[in-house]
Amino acid sequence: MDAHQRIVCKWCSGQNTDPTQCAFCGAPLDVQNMVSESGWREAPRLRDMTQIRFDRSTCQVEGEIVPVVEIDLAANEWVFFEHHCMLWKTDSVPLSVMNLQGPKRSFFRMPHIVTIAGGPGRIAFSRDATGEIVVLPLHPGMEMDVREHAFLLASGRVSYSYVRIKGLANILHGGNGMWLDRFVTSQAPGLLVLHGYGNVFERTLAPGESIQVEPGSMLYKDASVTLAAEAIKLSSGMFGGTSMYLARLTGPGRVGIQSMYHHHESGE
Amino acid sequence: MAGGPGAYTCPYCRATSIGVGRSCPACGAPADVALKTTASGWLELPAARDMARIQCGRSSLQIEGTMVPVADFTLAPGDGLYFPHHELLWKEPGVTVTQRGLKGAWKRIMAGLPVHMLDAVGPGRIAFSRDAAGETLAIPLQAGAAVDVREHIFMVATHSVAYEWLESGVWLQIQNGDDTEIDYPIGMYMDRFHAPAAPGLLLVHAHGNSFVRELGMGETILAKPSALLYKEPSVSMRMHVERPQSSGRSFWTWGERYLWLALRGPGRVAVQSAYGHTHDPGGRIVGGATEQQW
Repeated sequence: MDAHQRIVCKWCSGQNTDPTQCAFCGAPLDVQNMVSESGWREAPRLRDMTQIRFDRSTCQVEGEIVPVVEIDLAANEWVFFEHHCMLWKTDSVPLSVMNLQGPKRSFFRMPHIVTIAGGPGRIAFSRDATGEIVVLPLHPGMEMDVREHAFLLASGRVSYSYVRIKGLANILHGGNGMWLDRFVTSQAPGLLVLHGYGNVFERTLAPGESIQVEPGSMLYKDASVTLAAEAIKLSSGMFGGTSMYLARLTGPGRVGIQSMYHHHESGE
Repeated sequence: MAGGPGAYTCPYCRATSIGVGRSCPACGAPADVALKTTASGWLELPAARDMARIQCGRSSLQIEGTMVPVADFTLAPGDGLYFPHHELLWKEPGVTVTQRGLKGAWKRIMAGLPVHMLDAVGPGRIAFSRDAAGETLAIPLQAGAAVDVREHIFMVATHSVAYEWLESGVWLQIQNGDDTEIDYPIGMYMDRFHAPAAPGLLLVHAHGNSFVRELGMGETILAKPSALLYKEPSVSMRMHVERPQSSGRSFWTWGERYLWLALRGPGRVAVQSAYGHTHDPGGRIVGGATEQQW
């Protein structure tokens, strides 16, 4: 290969010289891109022990059924995370708490403590469920919305906030609760790591293009993608009826879904 | 190979196809891997390869993912599917979903079966997944064929497959003091799918891994009740209770007994490796099961 030739990662658009693995998201570059006939791209199946660099720190993904994300933090660098996702850490890693509106968050069943871990040292994370790690390098100027309780960790240069989902129908039936986590990068790039239950798929919607998904399956979306709950009436004859809700996502932008979802409003 | 030059008979679904690639076009099972049969005679059903494609008349589907696979259908105009409403993962807005009438709603409610069955008609794309780790099994049904599926296993079927639900006939009569109760270890009902006139496709979800075996005439195998996936209608079922040798029969020793589902051939049965807990209702079993005291 030409020493100046770059391989563009089809998952994160990072430019690489290593032909086997993307340096930015860990996606294997020497395997076929898995895209269904309907246009969904599978999240890259990260090889066991895949290493990714961000800033001066590194991230290693370990295991495949319930993967662990291990961070080797450089001095003066930090990551933040929901506190119950922490698996282990070295005793030298200091922890602090991000300043959030705790009572308001806990009232709406969001974790009211987002914890910060600083380097140098090692710290590891996992979610307590079968699934995939989704590594999303955020280029400068990106805004990404993530469903509640799906975010595993983000690097210190990523700004974190949460946005209220608009519309009563969306809150009650959209499957994402009342809030979405929002991650924003301004001048510098950052790293966002999510955990998807089951398998994870992504597609890019064109302006005005829409797709209807099981509300509990929505994992993340670009902030430019709109979300609206839509009802399908179901009747049980003389025993009355109910409604089934789907979330309509309308482009432009990326949407990610998970195949193992939290089913809402079913009771089955 | 069977059925002429270039013909391939799938060992898992028995469908014959011509010019098969790496996967069986009828069920998606890999066609280029060695059969895995246990020493005890169970044939392991191999998971469909990621992005395996299955043809079903003018429509097709892809199995996507490996841990919690998605069945992604491309429906031709006029082709249709039916499914319990909680299996739907996503759909194109153009695919219309309507409710399918089901007789006996009250009985289904009382039995804990899904009450709402939905219909989707092409053209368009629609996808399904079950909210659990496991395998999506495609069962092609030739005209005249039928299969009995344990409740809550069914994912989706094509319109050419007829659906009915019938009593499982598997029960335990339990005496607790002066009260006598009936318990249904595999549920009160089973789903029966058959293809009366034209071939069709049925998809079920197996928790964990799945295994299939052919039972000979009169051959019996004991399985955990909740491990049953499906069986051919020719296979009969009953409950069987075993008690270890050291166990007495006083009222407090019922927890030491084993509740088995006895499956008797001839015919094919399939089980799953993740089965959940089989609830023993306790009390004295006074009917519905044969018993073995070791």
